[in-house]
Amino acid sequence: MAAHKIKLEEIPSYVVDLGKREGATDVSAALTESRRVMIRFSNNEITVSKLFLDIMLDIFVMVEKHRAVTSISTISRRSIEKAVKNVVRIAKATPPADVYAPLPQGPFIYDPNLLKAPKVPLDPDTLTAYVESAIKGALEKGAERAAGTLNAYRSRMHLATSGDVHASQEKSGLEISVRAFVSEFATGHAVSIASKPEDLNPEETGMRAGEIARAAANPKPGESGRYMALLGPMVFADFVNQVGSLSSAFLVDAGQSFLIDKIGLEVASKKFTLIDDPTLAGTLGARAFDDEGVPTRRKSIIEQGVLKTYLHNSLTAKKFGVETTGNAGIIVPHPWNLIVEPGSKSVDKLIAEVDEGIYVTNDWYLRYQNYRTGDFSTIPRDGMFQIKRGEIAASIRELRISDNMLRILQNIIDLSISRMWIKWWEVEIPTLTPYALISELNFTKSRM
Amino acid sequence: MESLVEFAIDSAGNMGVEYAEARLQMDFRESIIMKNGILEASAFEEQRGLGVRVLVDGSLGFASTNVLRRRNVEEALRKAFNMAKSASKVMRRKIAMGKGDLGSDRVEVKPRVNFLNVDLDSRVSLLREADEQAIAAASLRDVKVPARMVSLDTWITEKFIMTSDGANIRSVIPRVALFAFLTVFHPQKGPVQRYFNLGETGGWEVAERWNLPKLFYEETYALSNILLEAVKPPEGEMDVVLGPEVVGIVSHESCGHPSEADRILGREAAQAGETFLKLDSIGLRVGSPKVNVADDPTLKGSFGFYLYDEEGVKARRRILIKEGVVNEFLHNRETASVFGVESNGASRSVAYNREPIVRMANTFFMPGDYSKEELFEDIKEGIYIKNFMEWNIDDRRFNQRYVGLEAYKIENGELKSLVRNPVLEITTVGLWSAVDAAGKDLEFQAAYCGKGDPMQGIPVWTGGPHIRLRRVKIGSA
Repeated sequence: MAAHKIKLEEIPSYVVDLGKREGATDVSAALTESRRVMIRFSNNEITVSKLFLDIMLDIFVMVEKHRAVTSISTISRRSIEKAVKNVVRIAKATPPADVYAPLPQGPFIYDPNLLKAPKVPLDPDTLTAYVESAIKGALEKGAERAAGTLNAYRSRMHLATSGDVHASQEKSGLEISVRAFVSEFATGHAVSIASKPEDLNPEETGMRAGEIARAAANPKPGESGRYMALLGPMVFADFVNQVGSLSSAFLVDAGQSFLIDKIGLEVASKKFTLIDDPTLAGTLGARAFDDEGVPTRRKSIIEQGVLKTYLHNSLTAKKFGVETTGNAGIIVPHPWNLIVEPGSKSVDKLIAEVDEGIYVTNDWYLRYQNYRTGDFSTIPRDGMFQIKRGEIAASIRELRISDNMLRILQNIIDLSISRMWIKWWEVEIPTLTPYALISELNFTKSRM
Repeated sequence: MESLVEFAIDSAGNMGVEYAEARLQMDFRESIIMKNGILEASAFEEQRGLGVRVLVDGSLGFASTNVLRRRNVEEALRKAFNMAKSASKVMRRKIAMGKGDLGSDRVEVKPRVNFLNVDLDSRVSLLREADEQAIAAASLRDVKVPARMVSLDTWITEKFIMTSDGANIRSVIPRVALFAFLTVFHPQKGPVQRYFNLGETGGWEVAERWNLPKLFYEETYALSNILLEAVKPPEGEMDVVLGPEVVGIVSHESCGHPSEADRILGREAAQAGETFLKLDSIGLRVGSPKVNVADDPTLKGSFGFYLYDEEGVKARRRILIKEGVVNEFLHNRETASVFGVESNGASRSVAYNREPIVRMANTFFMPGDYSKEELFEDIKEGIYIKNFMEWNIDDRRFNQRYVGLEAYKIENGELKSLVRNPVLEITTVGLWSAVDAAGKDLEFQAAYCGKGDPMQGIPVWTGGPHIRLRRVKIGSA
């Protein structure tokens, strides 16, 4: 029987059986079919329309402590059999790891609301109209030009494991990112993400970007120093992505996290609670099960400032002596859907409380001097504003945030009641976040 | 399989496109990941598929599929056509493909030691020995190396590219790459970290030549010294010597990226941003006459090696800054058309399912005529920054920050104590204008340059000699 005559969703179970026959103690196989359209635009024009049609098969095997992974893109009986034989052979030849954790034993019960995803449009005319609408919104608010990306995607992942897991997960989403330019130095950026077409508002996204760009007109050079800073959702989402990603037990173990040795300790202000919640149906990061087939669950990573858990798969959990948190990544656990609990004040009220400070609307290019201490810098971009006596006083430019992630977490003074979902080129994990007011944030600038 | 490429070009022609390009690409990668001396996993990956790009009524469409059957290729092509057609209705400025020196050729880099002849044991043994040497070096200074991450990749990229206007290129390029992340720690001093990449085109002989055990020993010993001995750096205006690793990243960030013609045109504006250089910046002075920066895909053995780009255009060396003056931009055929020049072969893509865009290959500061000693000898008080950890640059490529890792005080021409985290935070023109001498030496480092949406981390070299900056402001982190 040729594999192409097996239904795609049956291939993972076929792989698990083959792997066991070859001598693997544990096997997982995930076959992902995906269809994604991306339209990019700049200078108010579409620059390229792209379509990605992929079918990938990821296989993980263990022969007790010996582990190997493979990924293949040619889905035929011959290539699958060859890949399974190879991956088991290589696993056997691989030196043993320090722990063996069998793949979690199912069958599991999954939330049916998380297994299905809404239909999103992929047809060119609808998507082109979204882009036109976003550009129109930016121009209406005074931008000279707009650039950005529209993403629309549907995928289905079929997972089988030797732990009696046989499940399928749909995902879909719409994402639009708009950067508006009033001039080279006066720009604004806004994003909108949705799982249903009716929740995406490209024009409003363009308008928000345009409004920031217009407010940022005629910026003057900012002055370095420590300031009370209001971080907009795009900036705080970037920082929260760092915290969420570096709470992966694998990265903690690799020395690549400032959260090492801090479980149970106060790592942030009491105002800060960070949750990974893949169980929110209808959000882009919703997932019914992780890559080991374990049902996902809501968990606090940081609760009222205290670090509660790292993110685990079954292997890191065994190593750390805890239970899996349902965050596999076969090798590297990771967050699915980050949620920051809101504060109680409006954004205007937060600004009103700042005597002298800086409001940053966006940032990018975050790099660490030391992951373990959390020393890093990142570059504010798009609208950045001086706040004086409780009001936005002026547009400023060319400053850098050069500080320490733990210090920033501890210096969270307040959070807004309103929150936004953020995901874009710089923020990979869908994140629901408020504005954050940070005391004593260090800004530096070029000195010549 | 190759007939699918011809089929795609023929089918596109039948659809009436202005331009079509089809690329069959296969990447076969083997990796091992070792964390703290334990092999986390062995991995192998095969990625094979076809990417097609069509120009329809001045609008560009790209589609990819890894189901390599005629009907799937035809579906991808038709959808690329339809998307481009749909977008063309609202486009006012039409895209065109400019000229380029199109090739019909086969390029194969032959490994001396084929990856197939290197068993897993040899790979693991090499990393294990390197890991042991890291621990041994730290123990000499009585510090620990509690976190060690190393990955070693070998991979082969095979491509077959055809364009509707006659390019026909086959290539086979093997590469070896290593990533290392080391943390040294002392209870009273805390942690110091460094990561580095090695990468070259070639076979397993490359990995053997690297002498990883020696390298890990030296790197960890240097890190231990930084941890134990580095003091706060002097601050203020002083002379600075930058080592090749720093010069390489500066050349990449502050010359290579600003010179990408697609950024100049705003095509990356919502992602990696734009550049302070404009369409008419050729001839603009941005640095001292000692500054010469090139990008060259044709360097043998380089990580960013290629002889024809993804549009089939013959690659060549590009002198981006010549004696301090902007000399040439990096172009693909689309940007070349706007600028009224010929493509200089800078179109690259990291996989079959990624659109080719303007990229660097191997960007480096061209050597000068100073010996290393001459660069240092007349510095009364200054800093030597050998390598770095933290860096970033704004999206106009004008304000950058490099934080030194291994760095020394210079006094009367001699290296003195290690200094901790000296900060060079400076504008691009400020930095290039301060260069008054460049060494004769030339070293390269491997890196993965990030650009594009979806992101494409593409292999590059960055490099240069030691260079000297006069009277720049140094701070401390």
